[in-house]
Amino acid sequence: MTPLQTALWVLLAPLASAVVIALLLRTKGTAASAVSVAAAAFAAIGGLWLAFGGARFAQSKEWFRFGSFAVEFGFKFDDLAALMLSIVGVVGLCVHVFSLGYMRDDAAKGRYFGGLSIFMFSMIGIVLADNLFMMFMFWELVGFSSYFLINHWYDRQSAADASKKAFIVNRVGDFGFVLGIILCYWRNGTVNLTELGAGHALVYSRLVPLLLFCGAVGKSAQLPLQVWLPDAMEGPTPVSALIHAATMVAAGIYMLCRINVLMVPSATTVIAWVGTLTALYSALCAITHRDIKKVLAYSTLSQLGYMVAAFGLGSVSASMFHLTTHAFFKALLFLGSGSVILGCHHEQDIFRMGGLRTRMPVTFWTFTVAVAAIVGLPGLAGFFSKDAILVLAYENNRAVFAVLALTAVLTAFYMLRLWKIVFLGSPRSEAAAHAHESGIALTAPLVVLGALSVVGGYTGVYGGAFNGVFSGIPEAVGATHVVVLITSLFVLVVGAGASLAFYSTDGSDALEQGSPATFGFLSALRGSFDAAYEYYVAKVQQRAAMALNFIDIVGLAGAVVRGLAGVVEMLGFGVRALHTGRLNHYVYWFLGGVVVLWAFAAGIL
Amino acid sequence: MTPSLDSYVMLSAALFAIGFLGVLVRRNTLVIYMCLELMLVAATLALVAFSRFNGTEDGDVFVFFILTVAAAEVAVGLAIIVALFRARQTVRVDQLDSLKH
Amino acid sequence: MEHIAFTSLSVFTLACALGVVLSKNAVNGAMCLLLCLAGIAGLFVQLHAYLLAFVLVLVYAGAVVALFLFIIMLLDMQGGPVRSFRGLNVFAGLVTGALLITGLNLLAVRGRFGVGPPLGHSVGSSLKLYSYQLFTTYLLPVQVMGFLLLIAMLGVIVLSRRAPKAEGQQ
Repeated sequence: MTPLQTALWVLLAPLASAVVIALLLRTKGTAASAVSVAAAAFAAIGGLWLAFGGARFAQSKEWFRFGSFAVEFGFKFDDLAALMLSIVGVVGLCVHVFSLGYMRDDAAKGRYFGGLSIFMFSMIGIVLADNLFMMFMFWELVGFSSYFLINHWYDRQSAADASKKAFIVNRVGDFGFVLGIILCYWRNGTVNLTELGAGHALVYSRLVPLLLFCGAVGKSAQLPLQVWLPDAMEGPTPVSALIHAATMVAAGIYMLCRINVLMVPSATTVIAWVGTLTALYSALCAITHRDIKKVLAYSTLSQLGYMVAAFGLGSVSASMFHLTTHAFFKALLFLGSGSVILGCHHEQDIFRMGGLRTRMPVTFWTFTVAVAAIVGLPGLAGFFSKDAILVLAYENNRAVFAVLALTAVLTAFYMLRLWKIVFLGSPRSEAAAHAHESGIALTAPLVVLGALSVVGGYTGVYGGAFNGVFSGIPEAVGATHVVVLITSLFVLVVGAGASLAFYSTDGSDALEQGSPATFGFLSALRGSFDAAYEYYVAKVQQRAAMALNFIDIVGLAGAVVRGLAGVVEMLGFGVRALHTGRLNHYVYWFLGGVVVLWAFAAGIL
Repeated sequence: MTPSLDSYVMLSAALFAIGFLGVLVRRNTLVIYMCLELMLVAATLALVAFSRFNGTEDGDVFVFFILTVAAAEVAVGLAIIVALFRARQTVRVDQLDSLKH
Repeated sequence: MEHIAFTSLSVFTLACALGVVLSKNAVNGAMCLLLCLAGIAGLFVQLHAYLLAFVLVLVYAGAVVALFLFIIMLLDMQGGPVRSFRGLNVFAGLVTGALLITGLNLLAVRGRFGVGPPLGHSVGSSLKLYSYQLFTTYLLPVQVMGFLLLIAMLGVIVLSRRAPKAEGQQ
């Protein structure tokens, strides 16, 4: 099979699985799960084979055409796509296997696995797409899959609301994205990434990259559209792991890296600051949460901010490197939390866990590896990627460097808080006391991802397959190296140490006890965006909508449509009034007619 | 000195206009009818004047026809008015407005 | 001499015509119509159309106006509640009349007043002359007139029949 055919099969296998499940296996959960896992395995193996087998190609075919405007369907498989495909495949497969165990007792298993397959199809589509229109189509499909999967337990009102919120907020970002695509097409005559990459006669403007960035703001949940990601935790935990940690939210970063050629300095500055502020804001919000998944959601937001900031500072490599390592350890964190939640019988409040170190050892050790990776313990994957970003920031923009360093402190702080309260101490509830591992289906993916979190930071592991991407990773030398190394170690020690010392395992939030003002402030910070949006929607948008509604009913439907009918009716009334039945009046009309004829005859008219 | 053609034509026009005025203004059907006859007579006057002006007898002969038609029309019209009176008990035009909307 | 005759006859005719239009009583109106026709007959005489003057008086004044009078008296009109002429109607009528006269005159005489082409000789007014025309040039209209009179007669007969149910009651 040629690489193109393999790529096509990799794309279509999950789609076939979804179709089969939707048509035949909706009620047969076990069969559906088997089909879906098989498709995911096929996609993963195919993707890895393509990536490490060295096949790189770009081909496209015209799909449909309106006059001079054609939409193409094609694959662009370069190093970047190969890397992303490997990540999506591996993490996807781990999540599928994990779901076998996690969703074992769920009644709607078939629907769930159908949704997972659709998601895999859409995500692979984004990865392989070679032009922006095709990418947009799959972008929307991914948004739909996210909606579908968040809404899995649809009889919960909070889940229904969260899925709608996710879709709508994404839509807002996608609006900017579409405008950007159209503007790009209009200015450059093409949206094909290969042609754009060739760089002939590109028209550079600030507007096109910023508009395209709007799509990333929506999909990757940057400020101000980050409000949907914490609420998206209403979905099942494997969904959170796959979609809202490792892959879908990374699609925004991936898209930015794809359109790197369109960037101009004024746009990248904006992008860098948006990323940085997102990182800081979400780190602040994560400190006060009780729900384990919400803390991890804010952590995801923070790390996405890091990636966007890295891209904004000018390095695609650093951004993608962090994306890779983040995919591994964040998926691991989520799956670990899923294992913990399942072990404690669907308990998500961390203050009702505790003492799980001895009761769920595999989970504990893999989770610890992930936490170490995210806070940047030297030697693990996260250390190298975060370090690269800090070096980049130090060399290009000291202000961003300072903020990112502060965020790293906060990251260490809340992650260690989470780790300590969940795993250490003694159990604080009945369920925690009886917790145990939930089977090989859950623990195997944890181990795999744990291994990847350890070795994923060493680019040698990839065997040169992704050199096109990783070759540009910033390496520090000399004084920079020393400064950045000291900074990262310092933030690690300060953050982790403060957290371990400050928080206790006795079931209360030490910050809440010790400094209620700070706690209150941080909690309010969390809700500030939602409150602002609610105000806007309720006061501004709703009123505008009512005004437009009024105009529609009164103006358009009333005045224009029924008004035109009314005018005709009036004319009818008017003409009817002329029929008086009185002879004298008719004679007047007669005279009028004679005058008109007369005027014609006399040449006046 | 003989009056010129224009005088006769003006007179005819004046008679016609008066007849038309009567049709417009009066509400009694019979009076309206009489004014119609007045208009016809005005037309005959013009015809005879022109016939004299041209030196032929065509206009005069045409007056015969007008007379005949006027007579027939009067007969039938009055029969209609009588029938209308029998049905409606009135000949006033403003009370005969059943064709009103 | 002729001018005086013409002027007096025309004034007389116009006055009687106004009388027809303006008289409140229908019988008065009919009488005025009669006099008007007499005036017209006089004008015909001045135009040397003697036969026509005669025929006019005979047919029009004698038959038509008589029929009018007959019907007016048959219909037994009390005059009803005599509403005076409504101002608006009169005004409209006067305006119309003035427009008509002016317009017709403008078209007919193009602004020349009284000074126009003179009338030529009359051709003579014998019955023989007219009948010759009637039976040669105007034969078709004569036949059509005959037909018209027939239809008028039939129409009058049909119209003056009483309605069937009314007959039963009468």
